[in-house]
Amino acid sequence: MSHQHQEKVSYWALLKNGVIKENTIFRLVISLCPAIAVTNSVRNGFLLGSAVLFVQAMVNSTVALLRNFIHPRIRIPIFMLIISGWVTVVDMLMAAYARAAYKEIGLYIQIIVAFASILARAEVFASKNKVGASFFDGLGSGLGFLLALVIISFFRELLGKGTLVGLTIVPVKPMLIMILPAGGFLVTGLLMGFFNWIDMRFYGGKGAGGAGGH
Amino acid sequence: MTFKDILKITANLVVLYLAGGLLLAAVYAKTSPIIFKKNEEEKKEALQRMMPEADVIEKLGDWYPHEKHAEYFVAKKCGEVKIDKVKDEEAGIVREKKECIDPKVIGYIVQTFGKGYSSYINILFSVDDKFTVQKIDILHHAETPGLGDEIELDYFKNRFKGKDIEHLKVVKTETTEYIQAITGATISTRAVAEDGVRNGLEFLQQALKGEVKDESSASREG
Repeated sequence: MSHQHQEKVSYWALLKNGVIKENTIFRLVISLCPAIAVTNSVRNGFLLGSAVLFVQAMVNSTVALLRNFIHPRIRIPIFMLIISGWVTVVDMLMAAYARAAYKEIGLYIQIIVAFASILARAEVFASKNKVGASFFDGLGSGLGFLLALVIISFFRELLGKGTLVGLTIVPVKPMLIMILPAGGFLVTGLLMGFFNWIDMRFYGGKGAGGAGGH
Repeated sequence: MTFKDILKITANLVVLYLAGGLLLAAVYAKTSPIIFKKNEEEKKEALQRMMPEADVIEKLGDWYPHEKHAEYFVAKKCGEVKIDKVKDEEAGIVREKKECIDPKVIGYIVQTFGKGYSSYINILFSVDDKFTVQKIDILHHAETPGLGDEIELDYFKNRFKGKDIEHLKVVKTETTEYIQAITGATISTRAVAEDGVRNGLEFLQQALKGEVKDESSASREG
């Protein structure tokens, strides 16, 4: 993947790229562990997605800001420092000012440190581009992740529990397996196939294609 | 790698880790008192919810179900609450000072842990002075979503009201006399009803019996 295109690319295109063409879950196939672990309800998926969106945008901006200062040989440890720093800041701020949400996803916030998607965007994009562009790339990528989590959890919660965002839609549990871990793999796989099919059918398969990772 | 590289790497690491450390210290200094205060407030509110009619809830002691730290409390109702208006000279305002006269024990609140299907379930329950359960609350658990996590729901928690130690027994058939198991989550139900609440209640009764002996020393202090 070459991302050294400077100025030319509009911020809008960067956003779209993160959401559609290089969607973390469906196209790049990275950070699948959280995508499966927390998507048993729309609420959890949305909350974790939002936290990731924020961290991704801030990490990308910070990395871009420091990109000329960081020695290439130690860039990965420095990226990790930046990521864990921002995650800790989010963790402490949420614990102090957003108690209700923190109770729900406090457990997951700290594991954002280990998300491949965040390190990937820092290395692939932010370390080679300007602050503004990197911010929008992070925003796009985070938004794509958030959307993917909401879509996956929409199907899992509806099919597994018969509810949506905690509200009862159907009074029975149509397919309980959907909210168990196995259902996470099923839904994610089927959706991935569906988006690939759309890509092949309407765009001739010119998307980024699967890269792989975890 | 040249000497210049080594210098630059060292400078990189020192500057960035120092800056990161300072930033985190600043955020921590700002947030930790708020977090601590809110944790305390939430704990107080949670206890009050377990026994809304209590005027005073005091900690009796600690205990360790499944080697985890838990606490138990006594709830008291005042015979009369005397409110004194005390003038705070320094702040220049009038504060209300409540005084509890003739407090009567109306029940107890116990925190306990039950070993569930995939987690230790952290439970809070209240009993009246005759040791029948009033309310239970699930503070934390990681049971199977869709099955075991129904222990959080009100319909299940309400099954505990009015049960004494003999009736805290899980039954798989339809019952209101005992605790009816959640379909597909018998282990989680047992963990809450038997391993959690019943054991907690047994402990409470023993602890209170033990305390009868100590009461002479306690009253001397008072």
